[in-house]
Amino acid sequence: MVTAVRNWFSERLPISGVQIAELTNEPVPNHLKRWWFCLGGTPAYLFVVQIVTGILLAFYYQPAPSTAYESIRTITHDVSYGWYIRSIHKWAATLMIAAVILHQMRIYFTGAYRKPRELNWMVGMCLLLCTLTIGFTGYSLVFEQLSYWGATVAANICDTVPFAGVFFKRLLLAGDSYNSQTLPRFFILHAAVLPAVMIGLLVVHVGILRLQGITEFRFENEPDDKPQTFNFFPDHFYTELTIGLILMILLSVLATVLPVDLGPKADPLTTPEVIKPEWWFYVSFRWLKLFSGTFAVVSSGFIVFVMFVWPFIDGWIRKHTRYTEASVWIGIVGVFLLVGLTVWEAIVEH
Amino acid sequence: MNTEVSESETEVAEPIRRSFLFAVSAAVMAFGLTAGYGMFAWLIGVFLYPFRESAESWQFLSDLGSFGVGHSLTYQSPAGQKIVVTRLADAGTVDDFIALSSVCPHLGCQVHWESNNARFFCPCHNGAFDKVGKPLSGPPKDSDQTLPQYALQIKNDLLFIEVPTTSLT
Repeated sequence: MVTAVRNWFSERLPISGVQIAELTNEPVPNHLKRWWFCLGGTPAYLFVVQIVTGILLAFYYQPAPSTAYESIRTITHDVSYGWYIRSIHKWAATLMIAAVILHQMRIYFTGAYRKPRELNWMVGMCLLLCTLTIGFTGYSLVFEQLSYWGATVAANICDTVPFAGVFFKRLLLAGDSYNSQTLPRFFILHAAVLPAVMIGLLVVHVGILRLQGITEFRFENEPDDKPQTFNFFPDHFYTELTIGLILMILLSVLATVLPVDLGPKADPLTTPEVIKPEWWFYVSFRWLKLFSGTFAVVSSGFIVFVMFVWPFIDGWIRKHTRYTEASVWIGIVGVFLLVGLTVWEAIVEH
Repeated sequence: MNTEVSESETEVAEPIRRSFLFAVSAAVMAFGLTAGYGMFAWLIGVFLYPFRESAESWQFLSDLGSFGVGHSLTYQSPAGQKIVVTRLADAGTVDDFIALSSVCPHLGCQVHWESNNARFFCPCHNGAFDKVGKPLSGPPKDSDQTLPQYALQIKNDLLFIEVPTTSLT
């Protein structure tokens, strides 16, 4: 009987256990036993959490200015475990952004973006921008004061961009200013367009990683005769499972101890006296306060562009100058700026 | 007329004809794909681009005779915006009046009047303006952005203002 069932399946799915093992058992470099080298898998795991909890929330969420806030109130206060699912979604978003930033820092400071991995760095940059945008559109959906004014400011930032700015602002808002058709756009971007784009980018990101193999590092204290790799399955797979379990526990604790609540409902006629975006935009928010509108926006765009093409700039510096480790010092300055501006924005009212 | 083609001529003509046909069919296919999917992309763009402007209309404010120089009146638009209109001169033209919008010219937040500092203040990015809307500090000062004004017009000695008429919810 068992043989008959096995034969039935093997005729229809002509792949053997050996072939599956060959596909999954890519040798993994030893350094991946250290957890901070597994930060790339963390946002991927959290992305799956976001898709599952996001689909659940979409059963109740109603994306219109007259209904959005009330539907979130219903999710938070009336639906069974609605507060838990919403809090998991919010905390997973926070952790996902933190993990993406940490993953990018790890890649940067270990030089894993260098030739021949420049293209994958650029795909990663696209994923970073998508993650930030999906985070932004996410908190815009709640239709509390922060959602409304955040969206207004973002649309006007688009407006400041030379040449195509007005076009993109109108496209984003579905009009000259926030109107009844704006929220459905944010919802479609958040729940359909961006996740689909991110899945595509993730496939390319992991595909390139598999084609090129993971960057190999050797640490100074490692003996030369130590095997340089270990098996993906089951060894590394178990590491990822463990990280997934720890994340689930962490998310559950955060959602229970610090559940997400609702701020005041959006009021298009009153900007609150103290208003700040989510923490991951503190840097840009402070930047916008420090410089005039056009300069702040154009300079931010320039910084993002430099980040995109950094592997090529770094390659040029290493080839044509004697400052072969310049990237480390530039990175340290960048991290100090990032942390400094974030902390500055966090501790002051205005 | 001799219609016979020698064997060597056939050998040359076949590949030329084949590559010509291949090039033509590739060009037709490329044109078809570009035109077909391009049309579809254009259609998506038009579909997504907003199809109507925001609704605004002219509303009556006051007659000129009862609106003295130096006086202000607070007007609430049908969409809810509170607008302060001030008469600065007595020339009898629309330039005598100023109707300041409370929308910050920096990135669109709402300013509010701080009576203790005698200024309009924007809580988003710390922009500040004097009572006639000139920038005092913050990003609007850096790029010399004044508070926008609502359009006014005088008809038969009556003052009208153009304001949004639809609210969000």
